[in-house]
Amino acid sequence: MGFLNYTFDWSVLWRHPYGTMLVKGIWTTIHLSLLAWVIAVILGIAIGICRVLPPHWVRFLGGTYVQVFRNTPFLVQLFFWYFAAPLMLPQTAQKWLYDNVPDYSYWAGVAALGTYTASRVAEQFRSGLSAISLDHYHAAYSTGLTTLQTYRYVIAPYAFRIIIPPFTTEFLTCFKNSALTMTIGVMEVTHTAYYIDSFTWHGLETTTAASVTYLLISGCVVLLMSFVEKRLHIPGMIIRKS
Amino acid sequence: MDLSVIVNNLSFMFGGLVLTFQLALITMAGGLLLGVVLAMGRLSYRRWLYYPATVYVHFFRGLPLILVIFWLYFLSPVITGRSLNEFSAAVVSFIVFEAAYFAEIIRAGIQSIPRGQILAARSSGLTALDTARYVTLPQALRNMMPALVTQAVVIFQDTSLAYVIGLREFLRRVNLVDAREARSIELYLFAGLVYFLICSAGALYSHRLEKRHQRTC
Amino acid sequence: MIEIKNVGLWYNKTHQVLDHINETIHRNQTVVICGPSGSGKSSLLRCINGLEHFQQGEIIVNGVSVQKPGTNMQKLRSDIGMVFQHFELYPHMTVMQNITLAPMRVRKKSKKEAEKKAMGLLARVGIPEKAFKYPEELSGGQKQRVAIARALAMEPQIMLFDEPTSALDPEMIKEVLDVMIDLATEGLTMVVVTHEMGFARQVAHKILFMDKGQIIEEGAVNDFFNHPKNERTRQFLSRILI
Repeated sequence: MGFLNYTFDWSVLWRHPYGTMLVKGIWTTIHLSLLAWVIAVILGIAIGICRVLPPHWVRFLGGTYVQVFRNTPFLVQLFFWYFAAPLMLPQTAQKWLYDNVPDYSYWAGVAALGTYTASRVAEQFRSGLSAISLDHYHAAYSTGLTTLQTYRYVIAPYAFRIIIPPFTTEFLTCFKNSALTMTIGVMEVTHTAYYIDSFTWHGLETTTAASVTYLLISGCVVLLMSFVEKRLHIPGMIIRKS
Repeated sequence: MDLSVIVNNLSFMFGGLVLTFQLALITMAGGLLLGVVLAMGRLSYRRWLYYPATVYVHFFRGLPLILVIFWLYFLSPVITGRSLNEFSAAVVSFIVFEAAYFAEIIRAGIQSIPRGQILAARSSGLTALDTARYVTLPQALRNMMPALVTQAVVIFQDTSLAYVIGLREFLRRVNLVDAREARSIELYLFAGLVYFLICSAGALYSHRLEKRHQRTC
Repeated sequence: MIEIKNVGLWYNKTHQVLDHINETIHRNQTVVICGPSGSGKSSLLRCINGLEHFQQGEIIVNGVSVQKPGTNMQKLRSDIGMVFQHFELYPHMTVMQNITLAPMRVRKKSKKEAEKKAMGLLARVGIPEKAFKYPEELSGGQKQRVAIARALAMEPQIMLFDEPTSALDPEMIKEVLDVMIDLATEGLTMVVVTHEMGFARQVAHKILFMDKGQIIEEGAVNDFFNHPKNERTRQFLSRILI
């Protein structure tokens, strides 16, 4: 039994060159998640809107997107973007890609994470919108407001407050999923932790540091969001308890 | 599109699917058990039960699964002096991780029972244990089923992460075939399709359970 | 008999729900408690069978003190039956199972015995044919009658009713009140929180009027309705009696 036969070496976290690697890894995690999140929100809301528009085929397209992207594992989608997607481009485009985009794995990661998260965002958006009863719309129309005005002044502010909690959860999920991009070579914090271990055999310290990073950032996001929720609170509206 | 690459390697890849199912089922069983214990802790009024359970749940829900897998992979030699084999490492990490999610589902299910039900049972003289056994838990289970099935689908998808410690489950095998044959488009579409079919079936079942539950309320 | 001595109840240490309640309810008496909502009537009822924890005073039921440390609350509750405003039948069990659960689990009766008694009680409340139906299949009035049968199955010495007809459609109130009138005339000790003054006039021995946690007035039925002593009582009566 080699219980605690292990000598901890926490200096591996700041020693050169590992310290810089770790900081770079953390930074990569942050900007990859944020970039993917921006894509996810824009794409997700667009699809969410598609799912409530009148034409059947538009709704069907939106619904299919959500079903497909939610029911396949993120890792499969990631591999598809990294291995398979370039092969679907015409030869000249492929060649351009391989020559001019050295860190393609990063961009594949952003694309995969963005499109995957978009499907989840679309679902939350649709749920949030459907929570607003038809009566709200009727009340606004009955006072003479046009559809656009109704959405802009009556529905949107209300819907915005409803979707903040689920969107926060989705962002945190996106943030955690960024770790999976390590499988295609992206040097975000989890990969960096694993990588440093292969040089120093002190993987426990590095993975602890990576864990702390995730927990700290999640914690800050949750705090920030609850502050935002309180500021936007309408009296009588139920704030979701986390 | 050359589908022969899929046909030729079918048995190899499906062998991985067996492992995937095994991993998923063991994780569900273990995760549920541990989840129940944690949920009890989360619902308890005793501080020494509540705080550890709450910390556990928030901790594991705040980390990516892949990090948990690595963390345990590095931690186990320190504690036990030797490293676990791939399957055990995967199973332990998955159970420990998914239990946190199960705990929240179970807790929400139990809290969804109206307080009046418990008052009615206690007022006729039933003990707390009997109330839980005959009144609260049967109803809570019915309420939780859609969410539990959804979580099962999530677990099934998460098994693909065992890839990172080299476990030769389904996705890993597809990846190996791709490394050899380089027919990425067909292979990953195939992998996606297989997961999609299984997970959609699960999602449909969960949806049906929810509809059925709504009708009887 | 029930002795309530100087009982005080606070929620969250600040909100006082019961204030110096003193009352004695004798055997075979039917006592009606009325008053505006928020007056503490339901809380008082729940204090009697220990479902609510009061901070001040004492309640003694048939010689047993309700909050004393050594008291077997479970046994006490087996001898007190309670009927709730929202029926609270167990939705996942049939009517028969609802009624037989407690006698089998608490009084250790055999299934045959318990079912025989249950059928007798169902006949008494007028719905023997519903024995194997689920609560969702019954009307409100039928559900409440099952709830009464369920409480009676434990052969309680005291029955507590918490606004038993408040959640019922007007046509169904009579069928439930008829059952309650039967029980009262047979001599069961009953404490009933209700607004049904017709019921009170018919069978109550004593009426209590509560407001803001205090007993404002009490008296025999005739005195209460015809010669109310307190101004607040007069106000209340003028508003609820047509």
